[in-house]
Amino acid sequence: MTSPEIVFEEVSKFYGDVLGVNRVTLRIPPGITSLVGPNGSGKTTLMNLMTGLIHPGRGAITVRGLSPRDPERLMRITGYATQYDAAPRGTTGFQFVSTGLLLYGYSQTEAERRAWKALERVSLTEAADRKVAAYSKGMRQRVRLAHAIAHDPEVLVLDEPLNGLDPLVRAETIALFREFAGQGRHVVLSSHVLQEVDVISDQVILIANGTIIAEGQIRSVREEIHEHPSQFLIRCRDASRIASLLFEEDYITEIKLNQDRLGLLVWTRSRQEFSRALTRIALDGHSIESVLAGDENVDALYEYLIGGGR
Amino acid sequence: MAVYRRGYQRYRGDLTGRWARLMVLPRFAWKRLLEQRLVVIILVAALFWPLACAAFIYVSNHSELWPGLDRDFAKMLQIDGQFFVIFMNIQAVFAIVLAAFAGPSLIAPDLANGALPLYFSRPLTRLDYVLARMLVLVGLLSPVTWVPGVLLFAMQSGMAGGSWIVDNWRLGAGVFLGFLLWIVFVGLVALASSAYVKWRIVAGALVLAFFFVTAGAAELINEILRVDWGRALNPGQAMNQIWRSMLGAEPMRGPETAECLIAIAVMTGILLLVLERKLRAVEVVS
Repeated sequence: MTSPEIVFEEVSKFYGDVLGVNRVTLRIPPGITSLVGPNGSGKTTLMNLMTGLIHPGRGAITVRGLSPRDPERLMRITGYATQYDAAPRGTTGFQFVSTGLLLYGYSQTEAERRAWKALERVSLTEAADRKVAAYSKGMRQRVRLAHAIAHDPEVLVLDEPLNGLDPLVRAETIALFREFAGQGRHVVLSSHVLQEVDVISDQVILIANGTIIAEGQIRSVREEIHEHPSQFLIRCRDASRIASLLFEEDYITEIKLNQDRLGLLVWTRSRQEFSRALTRIALDGHSIESVLAGDENVDALYEYLIGGGR
Repeated sequence: MAVYRRGYQRYRGDLTGRWARLMVLPRFAWKRLLEQRLVVIILVAALFWPLACAAFIYVSNHSELWPGLDRDFAKMLQIDGQFFVIFMNIQAVFAIVLAAFAGPSLIAPDLANGALPLYFSRPLTRLDYVLARMLVLVGLLSPVTWVPGVLLFAMQSGMAGGSWIVDNWRLGAGVFLGFLLWIVFVGLVALASSAYVKWRIVAGALVLAFFFVTAGAAELINEILRVDWGRALNPGQAMNQIWRSMLGAEPMRGPETAECLIAIAVMTGILLLVLERKLRAVEVVS
């Protein structure tokens, strides 16, 4: 059985003297994976590499066991929507999607059936017979997505797929990604909207200057960042007392009390020790309503690992 | 190792073959091109000369219609390699004009719109893409080149009888292969121009300029260096020499057929190199 992962091994890509990505080693499991990084960091290069649109100068890539140098096989299981608005403006949305399917080798009838189904999934059936030139930005984004999913790919690679979508369609699109990921497929996407990345991603890949800064589940990535104390938001009745108890621990670096005195924000260098201390405090009879990680999100990871470059 | 759940099924139905998939692009391109009035006008205009040639064949095979015809003049009416060389040279010009109008719309818009990733993220290689675009031109140029040429050959064969075919089968093969060579060459010029500049009109002008400039450069070399091999650099004349050789017609003064073949091969190599450099899914910045 072939590996259901996307594997990069020591992959480097230079555009002449310009660095694309450098010595990237990754194993991307099925699920939703978000590529996060500033403009020009190498996100699109990674996507182009995994879809075989460009080839690495060094290293090897396999996508579910297939080489990107074999488009005949790779593209049958891969759907790619670039960030560029390249749909021919003279064709209708339906023609655009169905013609793409004919290139996959589907019969006319099967291509038309699948095109309708794909347009239905992105809520674009009403505008299917209108020319792409008359589409709004969000509609063009959706028709690109329909084009990418129409052949029911196992690997969906999407460059900035949520740009220009209204909230309702955005929610539907995210639901579509979840459905794909839930079936054991890959959904690899890049996005600048970090709050959304946070909500939808099973794992993130942080990239800057062509180098992978971090990869994995958001929580495990956060746990690896030791130089920045972890933040926890505690909701409790006796915030001042709990704050004074926590301050006795040497791994606690800072505590801020909420104005309503019903909560506090704690910075700790040791998550485990903090967890144990909090358990002790609770067992001593202090009421703690909730504990939330304050910086277990992509926004914080971005800030810690990449900095203010975004 | 993690256990991955798989809740989908791959498509197991029939798929069309490689050529059927390749023909998807030409199908749409032909439809679009034939909607252009100018292309239709050129196609129609290109039929007049074959009709005139057909009339000539008819006349040459019905000398009884011209009683008292001078023997020397009757000899001129003979259908031979020279006749087909003249026919091919005229039709070759129509092929260039058609390629100049149709060729630039094949690649330039894809490059300008950044649409190449759309094609290459399908089961299509760069070679497939070029092949599909070339098929558009082969389909468009065939009705003005080898199709009327082979029809004229068939007409002559029908009128002159079986023995004529046996003696002159080489003419039919020469017309077909010679034109095919020309279509591929002109097609490559059109595709390379279309890939080199993203503006359709400029790309069209570049196709015409290619043939004018190489012809001018060839004459210039011949005049300045007082040689005649410069003709090999004029694709029209080089091809003419190759055709003469294929059709058994009297060769022109200047470079030999082999030299002309080498010149055409070198130019073809350069055109392929332009396509290789320019047709990339992602624009390479250096």
